[in-house]
Amino acid sequence: MAPQVTATIVDDDPQDYESQHVHAVYDEIAPHFSSTRYKPWPIIAKFIADLPTGWVGLDSGTGNGKYLPLPLERPTDIWTIGLDRSRNLLKIAQTAGGVQREVVWGDVLDKPWRDGAFDYAISIATIHHLATHERRMAAVQRLVRAVNPAHGRILIYVWAIEQDDLSKRSIPQSEATRARGEDVFVPWVMSKELQSKSGAKNAASPEHSHTTSQAIDPPQVFNRYYHMFARGELTDLVRGAAKGLSIHLGSPEDGVMEGIEIVQDGWERSNYYVELRRWRK
Amino acid sequence: MVRLITHNLLACHAKGCTTNNFPLRLQDAAVELRDAEFNAEFVRGFLPRLEWKALVGAARELGDKSLPEEMPEMVDEEFLQKLHHVLLEIHIDEGAMVCPNCGHVYPIANGIPNMLLAEHEIA
Repeated sequence: MAPQVTATIVDDDPQDYESQHVHAVYDEIAPHFSSTRYKPWPIIAKFIADLPTGWVGLDSGTGNGKYLPLPLERPTDIWTIGLDRSRNLLKIAQTAGGVQREVVWGDVLDKPWRDGAFDYAISIATIHHLATHERRMAAVQRLVRAVNPAHGRILIYVWAIEQDDLSKRSIPQSEATRARGEDVFVPWVMSKELQSKSGAKNAASPEHSHTTSQAIDPPQVFNRYYHMFARGELTDLVRGAAKGLSIHLGSPEDGVMEGIEIVQDGWERSNYYVELRRWRK
Repeated sequence: MVRLITHNLLACHAKGCTTNNFPLRLQDAAVELRDAEFNAEFVRGFLPRLEWKALVGAARELGDKSLPEEMPEMVDEEFLQKLHHVLLEIHIDEGAMVCPNCGHVYPIANGIPNMLLAEHEIA
């Protein structure tokens, strides 16, 4: 049986915590992780398919770069540039879909771009790896500032407390977690075969220190930190981010010069998502 | 990879460095040319949002003088092909990008630019 998701508490400096329980883990599991992540979710595929020709975008937390080749029907009409904290994942993203991609080693909380440089930005399954509410809100603000203030579009996906039936994960729930979300460890089990393939055995990690006999060793388990979002929490982050940037949240209206509009939000396959659009008069 | 399409978007983000932080200067660049599929409509669509002078300057730093100083008024197929080449076919595999304002060095290794900052440098 697959190991269960367990509750955790962020009891360290959030940056150090992410470094240990997110960045280091992804660098370790990169090749294995990559072989299991390949299918774009329908709303993401549609968001990208609807972008105008000539647009350039940012995939913040690109991972193995699985969204960089989209849209599959007209692949060279737009360019998506992938940013990630894990260099080992970026090495895979560099050739996502068998074509040379543009990737940047960086942090989703930084802004190594000129203001409004991109026409669109996506952040899929990334912001839930940030260890505090403030850091998650800052990540949303970076996305808002990365896109063009007159027409920039944004799509964000994060894991939800509410998991669907198909999902193997079961999330411990209480009244409080339904309201505020919950900090958890999600185990990543790496088979012996893949460990030797990826060389992960030899890396520094507390779980593996003695690998003398392959037969009796349990599979290596890596715990990744996630903040599982409560219903409404993602929209609250967007509201807070807009307020922090002094940008009006809502549709274009009289007397307001610029704003950011929620085009759609909802739940899909164990995730919450929100699509945003910037506008200016 | 770092191609000039990406270079045209990157800016220095070190603490306190908010003016004259673009474009980053290319240093010790090891360049390789690789064919990319030409899509005239993509290049035409992206053109209005390019920082033209930054692109021309970076291309010249890499020894490519095919683009005019000023963005031409007549955008024909031949021009779009040249622009395509400069944006998408010149790969910087090794080298560095240096901030013209604060001098911060962003290394490029195996085609991946390192835009991470040390903790004390984060804005």
